[in-house]
Amino acid sequence: MHKVKVLFFATLRDYVGTKSVELEIPFGITIGGLTDLLMATYPRLENVKDMMMVAINREYAANEEVIPEGAEIAFFPPVSGG
Amino acid sequence: MDFPTIISITESELDLDTLLARITLPTTGASAIFTGMVRGQTSRGDAHETVYLDYEAYQPMAETKMHQVADEIRKKWPTIEGIVIAQRIGRLYPGTPTTLIACTSAHRNTGVFEAARYGIDRLKEIVPVWKKEIGLHGEEWVEGHYHPKPGE
Repeated sequence: MHKVKVLFFATLRDYVGTKSVELEIPFGITIGGLTDLLMATYPRLENVKDMMMVAINREYAANEEVIPEGAEIAFFPPVSGG
Repeated sequence: MDFPTIISITESELDLDTLLARITLPTTGASAIFTGMVRGQTSRGDAHETVYLDYEAYQPMAETKMHQVADEIRKKWPTIEGIVIAQRIGRLYPGTPTTLIACTSAHRNTGVFEAARYGIDRLKEIVPVWKKEIGLHGEEWVEGHYHPKPGE
């Protein structure tokens, strides 16, 4: 297992109820795997799963990507700045 | 001479004069500036009034992505001299400028207009900033539509 930081922004933070959590995750787990774990912990995320963007260490990432040790993962909806 | 790139995410007022001076070089003869502001009354689509907007950013990633937008501008329009990409965050009321994109170059016909347009379009696609709209009858997060590709 290794420790990662998971951040949530905007609508997703409202659904989860927290800005960030530290999690122990298995080595080799992908973003998709982490998403499944989060859905189990925060079932309300099911409602917004189609709008979940994800970044690993501040770069947009794919579901198949394996999470590196000590990574900062962020989940957020499509951006709406400007 | 190094061309200046100014990236800013701030809770302070956007100061156009100061920002523009910082991207005006001895060789500069033109600039194109885009600013977006909080619209108090919306008539297009679902007509409504906005009391204020609350902006938030994933600041370190937003700064990285703003630098990326500036790099993309320089690749597409190598004649661009200075670039400002600024986003104000926090609680912002109607009439307040929220974002500022400015590009400078030697002459007006070297892509400055297109470059500034590209800058705001890309900011709205890939820079992680969100706004919640507070209206007369409640509040809701404004939803973006673009889904960036991995690594984009």
